[in-house]
Amino acid sequence: MELLITLLDDAFFSAIAAVGFSLIFNVPQRLLFLCAIGGALAHSFRTLLLLSGTTIVPASFLAAALVGLIGVYWSRKYLVPRPVFTVASIIPMIPGTYAFQAMISLFSIYQLGYSPELMASLLENGLTMLFILMAISFGLALPSVVIYRFKPIV
Amino acid sequence: MDKLLSSADNQTAHSPAPIVLSKTDQTDILRVLVLLAMRLMQHGAESKLVEQTTTRMGIALGLDSVEVALTGNAVIITSLYKGRCKTTTRRVYDRGINMHVVCEIQRLILKAEQQPLSHQNVSQLLEAIEPQKYNRWLVILMVGMACASFSHLLGGDWQVFLMTMLSSSVAMAFRQEMAKRHHSVLLTFSLTAFLATLIASLAVRYHIGNEPHLVMAASVLLLVPGFPLINAVSDFVKGHIGIGMSRWFMATLLSFCVAMGIALALMVTGIEGWL
Repeated sequence: MELLITLLDDAFFSAIAAVGFSLIFNVPQRLLFLCAIGGALAHSFRTLLLLSGTTIVPASFLAAALVGLIGVYWSRKYLVPRPVFTVASIIPMIPGTYAFQAMISLFSIYQLGYSPELMASLLENGLTMLFILMAISFGLALPSVVIYRFKPIV
Repeated sequence: MDKLLSSADNQTAHSPAPIVLSKTDQTDILRVLVLLAMRLMQHGAESKLVEQTTTRMGIALGLDSVEVALTGNAVIITSLYKGRCKTTTRRVYDRGINMHVVCEIQRLILKAEQQPLSHQNVSQLLEAIEPQKYNRWLVILMVGMACASFSHLLGGDWQVFLMTMLSSSVAMAFRQEMAKRHHSVLLTFSLTAFLATLIASLAVRYHIGNEPHLVMAASVLLLVPGFPLINAVSDFVKGHIGIGMSRWFMATLLSFCVAMGIALALMVTGIEGWL
């Protein structure tokens, strides 16, 4: 029960985040609810995987692959290219905080001089961001890399 | 003879009459295609989509084949028809991500494949597509809510939620003002990050909420270049290394600008450590 409440809370707030970003990307109004559902599904599925002991990179990959596969169905149903709603859906999973932390560490190394802690922060945050991002994008691209290699989805 | 050949070559099974294209027709179709590819690139479509859509449109309009080359800021298109090649290049300027335009162009190409359209028709329909934008106050409100939701997902309480909403909404309004005046994106991003962190630092200073540092972390998340990063990796995966690199580098540069803005604000306010 407690798990269900955590997941619902997670899904609700990541849906808001996904819709907020789809307004920046000017997604047409009739497709906004797809971004909301996609965002909620992706992030709560990842949270579920994380809670069950998966590490963050495979969890992000599986969640993004889920959105990518559902995206194939939606894109045929509504006749729009997949990135229109898949990218907004996975935005809540993008490792923005890691990216900025890595860049700030880089800046601090210049400012304060080299120290093993700062270097470790730069490398760890930078690599985490890199691997999560690769996992997400590859998960999204999975249907068009594996199944739809030569023909368009819509 | 000519007619027979073209009907055999024509790959769109639906179009009834065999199409014969004159030299001027070929040039006009090429102009339509380059405009189509340019608009997709300007509004943030990934390379495979641009390539596929342009090729399909060319074949639907009666060309034998279309070759598309994309670079970081230009499109090069060659049309082939009965051994005649014509090539054209256009410079691409970034007009901001707009999925509305991408959707409309997708509908146009489906229409052109289902029923034969003349290139004049397609050209008119293409030029009629206006990049639609949401009301700016709605965007400010929703982006504020989005960043506040991030702060909640990171583990903040309702005070952190409200502070994040305040600082990211002000930051989004500032970003829109900068964009309206056509300032450099790099400058816009670093100044917006500076402003957002400055407002968020109030939470740290007056100890608002359970984790005041989360306000600073969450209120700059509206500046994460998510779309360029995802597009970059999709391009890598699908073999467009060159253009993927230029998207990746632009996104890295934008993140660096944001980090500079944050670092500057930390220096001004004297707060140690970002997270």
